[in-house]
Amino acid sequence: MWKTILRRVLIMIPELIILSVLVFLMAKAMPGDPFTGQINPKDSLTQIHHLMRINGLYDPWYEQYWHWVVHLFHGDLGTSYEYQEPVTRIIAQRAGNTLWLALLTMILTYVIALPLGIYAGRHEGHLQDTLVRIYTYATMSVPFFVVLVLGSWIFGYGLNWFPTSGSVSPTASGFLPVLLSRLGHMILPAVLGALFATSSITQYLRSGIIDAKHSDYVMTAQSKGVPMKAIYKHHIFRNALLPIAAFAGYSITGLLGGSIFVEQIFSYPGMGLLFLNAINYRDYTVITALVLLYGFLNLMGTLLSDIALSAIDPRVRVK
Amino acid sequence: MSKYKKWLAAGAVMLSAGLFAACSSSQSQVKSGYKPSVKLSQTYDNPNKTSSTYNNGTLKVAEFNNSPFAGITDPVLQSNAEDQDMFDPGGNDQLFFVNSKNEIVNGGLANLSLDKKAKTATVTVRNNAKWSNGMPVTAKDVEYAYEVLGNKNSNSQQFSPDMQDIQGMAAYHAGKASSISGITMPKGPKGKVAVLHFTTFAPSLKYSGNSVMWDSVEPYEYEKNVPIAKLSSSNQVRKNPIFTGPYKLSKMVDGESTSWVPNKYYFGKKPQIQHINIQVVSEDDFAASLKSKKFDFPITNGQSSEYPNVKNLSDYTIVGKEGTGYDYFGFNLGHLDTKTQTSVMDPNAKMGNVKLRQAMMYALDQGALVKKFDYGMGWFPNTLISPYFKQYYNSKTPYYKYNMSKAEKLLDQAGYKKHGKWRTQPNGKPLTINFGAMQATSSQTAEYNYYLQQWHKLGLNVQYAGGKPMEMNKFYDTLEKPKQSQMDIFAGAFGVNAEPTPTGIYGADASFNMGHFVTKKNTQLMDNMNNDKAWNNSYRVKQFKDWQTYMAQQAAYVPTSMTMNWTPVNHRVKGYSVASDDNEFWSNLALTASNPK
Repeated sequence: MWKTILRRVLIMIPELIILSVLVFLMAKAMPGDPFTGQINPKDSLTQIHHLMRINGLYDPWYEQYWHWVVHLFHGDLGTSYEYQEPVTRIIAQRAGNTLWLALLTMILTYVIALPLGIYAGRHEGHLQDTLVRIYTYATMSVPFFVVLVLGSWIFGYGLNWFPTSGSVSPTASGFLPVLLSRLGHMILPAVLGALFATSSITQYLRSGIIDAKHSDYVMTAQSKGVPMKAIYKHHIFRNALLPIAAFAGYSITGLLGGSIFVEQIFSYPGMGLLFLNAINYRDYTVITALVLLYGFLNLMGTLLSDIALSAIDPRVRVK
Repeated sequence: MSKYKKWLAAGAVMLSAGLFAACSSSQSQVKSGYKPSVKLSQTYDNPNKTSSTYNNGTLKVAEFNNSPFAGITDPVLQSNAEDQDMFDPGGNDQLFFVNSKNEIVNGGLANLSLDKKAKTATVTVRNNAKWSNGMPVTAKDVEYAYEVLGNKNSNSQQFSPDMQDIQGMAAYHAGKASSISGITMPKGPKGKVAVLHFTTFAPSLKYSGNSVMWDSVEPYEYEKNVPIAKLSSSNQVRKNPIFTGPYKLSKMVDGESTSWVPNKYYFGKKPQIQHINIQVVSEDDFAASLKSKKFDFPITNGQSSEYPNVKNLSDYTIVGKEGTGYDYFGFNLGHLDTKTQTSVMDPNAKMGNVKLRQAMMYALDQGALVKKFDYGMGWFPNTLISPYFKQYYNSKTPYYKYNMSKAEKLLDQAGYKKHGKWRTQPNGKPLTINFGAMQATSSQTAEYNYYLQQWHKLGLNVQYAGGKPMEMNKFYDTLEKPKQSQMDIFAGAFGVNAEPTPTGIYGADASFNMGHFVTKKNTQLMDNMNNDKAWNNSYRVKQFKDWQTYMAQQAAYVPTSMTMNWTPVNHRVKGYSVASDDNEFWSNLALTASNPK
């Protein structure tokens, strides 16, 4: 197992190098640059050229790439053109917001989805199952942003139950008030996000349980007189979790990805908005850093999923 | 300046199915849309009494924006309008007060005195001027702002080449001098007097927002140990900034909000409200957040498309004034000479015939379009100067009023004859005109389609450059090329400074002159606005008015719409004004209730 993990980690190195070159080239290939359209009546082309020059944007791409790599190995991902701050600092600021919101969303998602999936699977064909399926189909068919806009409109602006902007109240000070304020700001987007995200997990789990329920080994156990509770615990549930485990790694590493919809609608400064703005404003340093980070997280996600799968399913381990 | 980027790509939201019928059918609508139909006051006169109890509460201000703010507190280093808004209660370290004409007047952090003969501007900082940490504001702080702006390693986007009219600035900017020889401090760096020596001395210096003189201070003593290239990410600018305005920063949540308390060292009127919060809110929540009374007022201007959603709110009064920017059509008439960095007109340019350009403008009922989409908040302008600049605006400049038969006649006269469906060039060759437009909202796309429809009616084969409206970066990337033939006509938008001299937009060396329109007369008229004679105001005003008429005749750049700058103000707020001479905006505000009504 450890050998496999080590091998996978080593393979990640050339993958990340290739990704970084591709990302760097693609970012440069986009029309425009960080100063495109950023002209005002006081500026002149001379000043724009001056800024391009001192930022090294006229250098050949391979020189720019080399400078970037050298700085990367010194822990410096460059300075954002838009925010005029080190990229590492900006990512650290945004990653915190995104991580906490995504974590709460994920916890809520599993807290809602697991019982729903199990319940529906156990009561296959009954009214309870039908209700759960209606719920999952409804959340699957309604666009996410519609749920968010409606939720914000009803619970945020209409009923005034939740804050609608930012990650913390400007007036909160002190550890506990800040913590509670942060939680208060996260609850509405997290609940809405979770209600939306539960559908696929519920469906996977429900199908897994139904499949396992009708499998030969369950029938054998039943015929041997093993109580249903034990069958569910030791056979059905464990097998039904396999498809969910396959996504677990991605879910964990995907926590840092951020959601552009959530962040835009709730003015929540996270990684999703950062990435979108970086692309719009050709903030090359931020684009390359984020794509590299996401690439790394994806590779890690695959690895974690494989580890989780092998932990649950001994057949995977053997292979 | 990223605000520009966003603003250039922004616009109205609503799409009307009846647009084409409304725009193309009747001459009766020709007169519509030429003035804003909504009349707004510049102040909100609240009759209710304020009290210290209410003022001990918190003023809630919204910054409507879809991105978190960057967090650069220093006006010299700011590159977008959001930061300016978020740190506005700190006064943006402004040096001068202005009157209703934007002329610099006495009474601010510093006074200005201009000496035409000696070509000097003397900035005298008031004796009681202090930073919010109690440090005195000095002559060195005035000079240091220029040093940060012009430093060769500075990433400031605010440096204007016109600042090289200050003696020694060119050498300093090029890194050939360690200081700016044309800025002297007769009473020493810790004194209160800084004298700027100019090589050319323009009348625009009298006005705030001119491109030659910077109008904020930089705390030298506080920042002297930080290299200028690192200033924008330093703690002095990011974490613990100091200000000269009525409020000081008490808290900042990165990208989200700023909180303010009174600055006890402020030189002017004592602020009345004890707490101010400014919070970033999604632009889409403009109406919803006001309807639910979450904010007292937005610090950003409302979009015309939002006006119908908030105009009937009983607890808000809308105040506003004419905006200074505008949407426009530009024509590609030449190229940029990269050696001299100046625009050159091409005598054989496809759009070089003025009658062709005029005909294309006469074919559009722009007034009806503006009326339809700006809900009374916008108007179809006749000139490139907004009526906001009352003394300079030329109301007599003729409009390009919708007149299809006139448009056809002009083309016939110029030799653009119809052969089949389309007109050809005077030399008989086919004529295809490429229209450059930016990807935008559905209503703007509908406007673009209307333009094509009208030009097709005129017999002109006009197509989208690139087959469809372009992504904003691609649009400007194309236009900013020294020579491009992808766009023959393009639709853009300009922001305009408080000082409206147009050289920075339409001058031969202006980066905004992306159509490369350069004529002797244009250069002459613009030069005249700031020559020696222009110290006589009536002469200067005449040059502005003549220039507007000339530009309208040439139709190289034609404005298509201007809009009001407007803001809804909650009825618990007292003392709100958008008048340009309200120099103590934040100090004048007071509260008449404990929460937004």
